[in-house]
Amino acid sequence: MSSFGFGLITAAVLAIATVGFTMQFAVTNVLNLAYGSIMINSAFVAYYVNQHGVTAWVALLGGVATGAIASWLLNRFIYTPFQRRNLAPITVVIVSLGVDLVGTFGLQAIVGGGYVSFNQSQGHEYHILGMLLSGLQLVIFGICAVVLVGIHWLLKYTRLGKAMRATSANRNLARNSGVKTQFIISTTWIISGALCGLAGTVFAMNAGVFEATSAQLYIVLLLAAMFLGGPGEPYGAMFGAVTIGLATEVSAAYINPEYKDVVAFLVLIAMLTFRPFGIFGSEKTN
Amino acid sequence: MSVELSKKGLVLTATGLAAGYDGRAIVSGITVEATPGKVVSIVGPNGSGKSTLLKSLVGVVKVLDGSVKVGDTDITNMAPEDVAKIGVGYVPQIDDVFPPLSVKENLEIGGYLLKRHEVNERIEAVLEFFPKLKAMMTRKAGKLSGGERKMLAMGRVLMLSPSVLVLDEPTANLAPIVATQLLEEYIRGFANFGSTVLLVEQRAKAALRISDWTYVLGGGRVVLEGPPQDLAQNPIFVESFLGGGAKAHPPKD
Repeated sequence: MSSFGFGLITAAVLAIATVGFTMQFAVTNVLNLAYGSIMINSAFVAYYVNQHGVTAWVALLGGVATGAIASWLLNRFIYTPFQRRNLAPITVVIVSLGVDLVGTFGLQAIVGGGYVSFNQSQGHEYHILGMLLSGLQLVIFGICAVVLVGIHWLLKYTRLGKAMRATSANRNLARNSGVKTQFIISTTWIISGALCGLAGTVFAMNAGVFEATSAQLYIVLLLAAMFLGGPGEPYGAMFGAVTIGLATEVSAAYINPEYKDVVAFLVLIAMLTFRPFGIFGSEKTN
Repeated sequence: MSVELSKKGLVLTATGLAAGYDGRAIVSGITVEATPGKVVSIVGPNGSGKSTLLKSLVGVVKVLDGSVKVGDTDITNMAPEDVAKIGVGYVPQIDDVFPPLSVKENLEIGGYLLKRHEVNERIEAVLEFFPKLKAMMTRKAGKLSGGERKMLAMGRVLMLSPSVLVLDEPTANLAPIVATQLLEEYIRGFANFGSTVLLVEQRAKAALRISDWTYVLGGGRVVLEGPPQDLAQNPIFVESFLGGGAKAHPPKD
């Protein structure tokens, strides 16, 4: 049952990250493999704010802002110039891989290789349905719930959210309808980047200790969750995150935990082989 | 029509137009004019540049030479979102709706430039024109039939009360009976109301029936033009587009 609890908290963090990741991919057409490095860079900014006497929950806002600003800058000054050259989409993916390596190991060069942790209590422990959960983990569940409901509200009920979905579905037609898609895309980088920063910071808080390369393999979980739910499908991302989060943590009870991410790899390979458009996506739209 | 569906038309003029991709002209030396209250059609064989011409008028394809005007406004190479803003509604041949969005959401995006309180009012007006859409407001556009989808595509552009409607093969892939209804009831209806309608149509006979003026494109240039009655008497046109020897029905007055 404890592995189920771990699975749920992993799923909650992964859900925040995957929703941002898939939204970014759907609206901007960029498969941003540097997402994990922005997550951990955001976590470190929050950590340094926390080290200056600010409570971790306020420092979290620093992580959110870092993710939003870094993602916007990344798009504005690196991805967009490449996209304007009308190169094959794989070019931007390779560029993002390069950005990921620079972001991760550049951070390591600055902060060193040691582990760090937030000045923050894990809170009381609670026994809920046979699971032992810390107060911190309950707050992370709460943040996850607010984010998912908020994203649902944004996409379904706001003018901006509908324009984001329209831009994702057919950018040219959106422009013909009067939507300024460049503005929508920039806004999407900011929102998805904020989710990236939030996910990175709660990931680091939940891990207890973390270092510059802690999120290096996180992209595998993100890709597995995204392809399981369907690329570009925010609701699919929520489903994919819960499934991958539970699958990796529950499997850790039966196999060497060092290899738990292999489960995500297997899911990713299976989905790409048999249903690359995911469970929530359709062949036609993907 | 109890609510004004579109604004009174403006003259759309392309003069000496050349347009294409990567600096290479697909169409050149094109001069066309569409006027309010008239249906102006463009016919021609596949690959003659009809769709490229329409796309260049609405800012989707780059104009390499010449100019495009709507009324007194020069819209040459204007961004598509700004072309929509000045009152040109464009329905592409394919990818004409947002499949994952519901019918209502498609109409809302069509009315993106409207003030918040105007959107529902406009949706009501569009539904009055396309009452069949009323029963499918929550259905995803990707699940509609060809005819329903085309109605939605037109409904989407009508949300902004356009002065000029630019329609690229609206009857493509539609059953003949649906195509006829779309052309004769709805598209002719827009012009009768005073809108300017520029239409690319593969079904030459059907296009002639509803048009006031027709341009014939071949090899990226206008090779013939005139009122449909005259074209229907032109042996070259009849041979090429009306199945040789077949007589076109004269357009309705």
